Amino acid sequence: MPLDPGSLAIFDAFQSGKLTRRQFARRLAGLGFASGTIATFLAACGAPAPQAAAPTSAPAAPTVAPTALPAVRPTVAAPVVAPTNAPATGTTPAAADLGKLASAEPNPKRGGTLRVAFGVTTSNYDMQQGGNVNVLCQMYSTLVRLNPVDGLKTIVPDAAESYQVAPDGLSYTFKLRSGIKFHDGTPLTADDVVATYNRMIFPPQGVVSLLKDRYTSVSKVEATDPQTVKFTLKEPTAIFLLLLTDVSQGIYSKKTLDANNNDLRKVLVAPGSGPFMFKDYTDGEKWTLVRNPNYWNSELPYVDTLELIHVAAWSDRGTAVLTNQADMSWNVSLETWTEGAKRTDTIRTNRVTTFGAYQVIINTRQKPFDDPRVRRAVHLALNRQGLIEAFKTQEQIDLSRWVPHGGQFATPRATIEGLPAYRADKTQDIADARKLLADAGYPNGIQGVELLSASVPPHAEIMSPGIQDQLKNALGMEINIRVAERSLLVEDEKAGRFTLVLDTPSDPISDFSPMANTYFKTGGSQNFGSYSNAAFDALLKQSDQELDPAKRKTMLDQLQDMLDQDPPWLFIGFTDHLLMWRANVRGFALDKRVQSEWGRVDIAWMDA
Amino acid sequence: MTKYLVRRLLTAVPTLFGITVLIFIAMRILPGDPLARVGGEGQGQYQLSDEELKEARASLGLDRSLPEQYLGWMADVARGDLGHSFWNVEPIRDAVIRRGAISLEIAVVAVALSWLVGVPAGIFSATRRNRLPDYVTRLLMTVFLAIPSFWIGLTTVLILVLAFTYRPPLVITELWQNPLTNLQMVIGPAVALGLGLAAGLARMTRSSVLEALYDDYVRTARSKGLREQAVVGRHVLRNALLPVVTTSGAAIGALLGGAVATETAFGVPGLGTYLVQALNSRDWMVIQNLVLIYGAIAVVVNLLVDFSYAWIDPRIRYG
Repeated sequence: MPLDPGSLAIFDAFQSGKLTRRQFARRLAGLGFASGTIATFLAACGAPAPQAAAPTSAPAAPTVAPTALPAVRPTVAAPVVAPTNAPATGTTPAAADLGKLASAEPNPKRGGTLRVAFGVTTSNYDMQQGGNVNVLCQMYSTLVRLNPVDGLKTIVPDAAESYQVAPDGLSYTFKLRSGIKFHDGTPLTADDVVATYNRMIFPPQGVVSLLKDRYTSVSKVEATDPQTVKFTLKEPTAIFLLLLTDVSQGIYSKKTLDANNNDLRKVLVAPGSGPFMFKDYTDGEKWTLVRNPNYWNSELPYVDTLELIHVAAWSDRGTAVLTNQADMSWNVSLETWTEGAKRTDTIRTNRVTTFGAYQVIINTRQKPFDDPRVRRAVHLALNRQGLIEAFKTQEQIDLSRWVPHGGQFATPRATIEGLPAYRADKTQDIADARKLLADAGYPNGIQGVELLSASVPPHAEIMSPGIQDQLKNALGMEINIRVAERSLLVEDEKAGRFTLVLDTPSDPISDFSPMANTYFKTGGSQNFGSYSNAAFDALLKQSDQELDPAKRKTMLDQLQDMLDQDPPWLFIGFTDHLLMWRANVRGFALDKRVQSEWGRVDIAWMDA
Repeated sequence: MTKYLVRRLLTAVPTLFGITVLIFIAMRILPGDPLARVGGEGQGQYQLSDEELKEARASLGLDRSLPEQYLGWMADVARGDLGHSFWNVEPIRDAVIRRGAISLEIAVVAVALSWLVGVPAGIFSATRRNRLPDYVTRLLMTVFLAIPSFWIGLTTVLILVLAFTYRPPLVITELWQNPLTNLQMVIGPAVALGLGLAAGLARMTRSSVLEALYDDYVRTARSKGLREQAVVGRHVLRNALLPVVTTSGAAIGALLGGAVATETAFGVPGLGTYLVQALNSRDWMVIQNLVLIYGAIAVVVNLLVDFSYAWIDPRIRYG
């Protein structure tokens, strides 16, 4: 986690003994750090927090302030060194409730209807069991959230008023706001949070929790008092707070969960405590939500009505925004987005990163790919920049490496452009790849390799033939494409009935850890290619537990190097989403976003 | 006549039974499990474990034997309950009623348009045989027969968006709620579908009228001193329209098929779009019910055509 030079100098001076605790605390306070944060720094360094150093007018400060960094990716509050960008204004940073969000623009207007176009159908109403998260999240609070005001670059409290991280990183304690009520009028308490997370992490019989694999490090969730929730971890988890920001982790009421035997799939309106309340739903067409007048943040939401309109096709979403049938869409087609970018008087656009990727899973148990040299050879020979260009009419792929793109841990694009395997000039890469193949016993190329591809046209007719053509020209590798309906492909993947398979995994969490543990770790739940690399596994575990961002960055760089040398996939790149909205959607800071989150729209307001 | 009608009705029963059996089996013998992976845009993906998959299948009644599932489906249909989709929570019956209304409107307007445009165009062309107006009309007929309706739809939407910053509404507005908005939703797909139908009808009308124009009774009518307009209107058309009625009946099938693509092109949430969504997500329950409904419509329309024949031409009912 990068600190500015001034902050680093203060830390260095304190750690080398040049500053006393009091001087250290005063200097950080002068830079705008919250007193709670300073206390955490001091605790982490084995020193008690000097009360006098905290701004005197501060009321009870959050024990760990909302975390922010200049980095473009949302940052996780690291318990050891968690700097903040709390505003250095006249009011004390600790006094400011950074979770109490407001419009990102001045003079917000109230009222009106915000219409958002995307896919709003849902298979059920339980967002932790596969219900449409992007719709349902509008009605619920989460413990913490990504801050929409700064373009999702920081984590701020939501239902939690503050949180405290144990110095050893083995427990997270959340103090809930008082006065939060569910839409049915019952108060939100720690028991509700515990019931929600226990169901998610330790699902009872009959509950399919899509989130349990993310929380394998959690051993216990408990209410220590009616307003306090404590998560106890078996091991430190670097991205624990980031995991909690996922919009699908809305807090359900214990009463509702108990009344429905923990299964809310058929409960249309399980009461939430979020900014919007349910009004109407027409399947395949529209959700209508209305402002929650009792929302704990009295400032929000600004609009009276939120309409979530079902538009399945990206191009239709784009035309809907262009023609004022919708006010915004999370992802539109390239053609409509480009058209929107030209209409600067009425339309605004932004391109944001996602954590879905295009890649070819390699079955490492099958010849010839059981030999790491062959995997490395295809990894080197693939012309990613060419594929990305060829595919851009379908989906926007960013030239990226293994760590999700755009964030503080990702390799900068400029660096990637010069790396072997990723660079545009493939001459040296192909020469190296041929040598590797020759060393592996394939001097004349390889015949009869099968590439399994989903039957959707972009995969079967553009990406797969592109890969086939490139590897034939570069390495003399004869690839036969087998096209299968997507569900059949999934079954073949699970059973390991493939040599190469083009797939598009995705995860809403902007970190390497979930993807690596799921797909690359030995025995990972979706490690369909049976990739196994003991050194990688060991370092991954270490990086997952490393709370110092700088050290973690070094480890992640090493992990990426390992994957480049011994690739489990033929990685092509992470994708981007094309955001588009009408100019009268204000206060939502969509132009500041660097990553995709189809989440709450509570800070948006409509200009006439 | 009654005997004929009963006979035709009875033949419809095995047809419908055959449709249900075929679609039911087709859905279940196709390899791959639609429930294997869940997730959505911006939400990530999750592959169910074998245990979770088993549970999910059980919750949808897919763990029962095939005969049990089929009989259960038929019993539901008999009760007017079409069950639930795998992926959408709304009962299929409710979705069909709501979406069916807009699709029906599109079909009615398309057929009306095809008659209003196709029949006059056919007569116009026939009565000016081998002259420039005939060539131009025939060229247009060929063009609209050759161009798929969804392409007309896509092009129309593109032009409307780029040139006029307009696109048809995305959410269903019933006719009685707001006729103008309803018309905006219906007119695009109806025109796209109707033009193709009109071209077909015009060709059929032209050839029938040409055939009738040289019949003896027409010559007689002319020799009586009737004006050409009266000859065509009273004598030629009455006979020439018989094959046109047949074509219209057969065109309903094409209309149903065309509506699937055209509704999607215009973004109209009708039955066609519903079917496309169901096919994309392999939503068996929706697919099998919609195929049954489409099959039933085709059977009923064909019955109506047969009945109209019998009514118009006595040789058929006594044949």
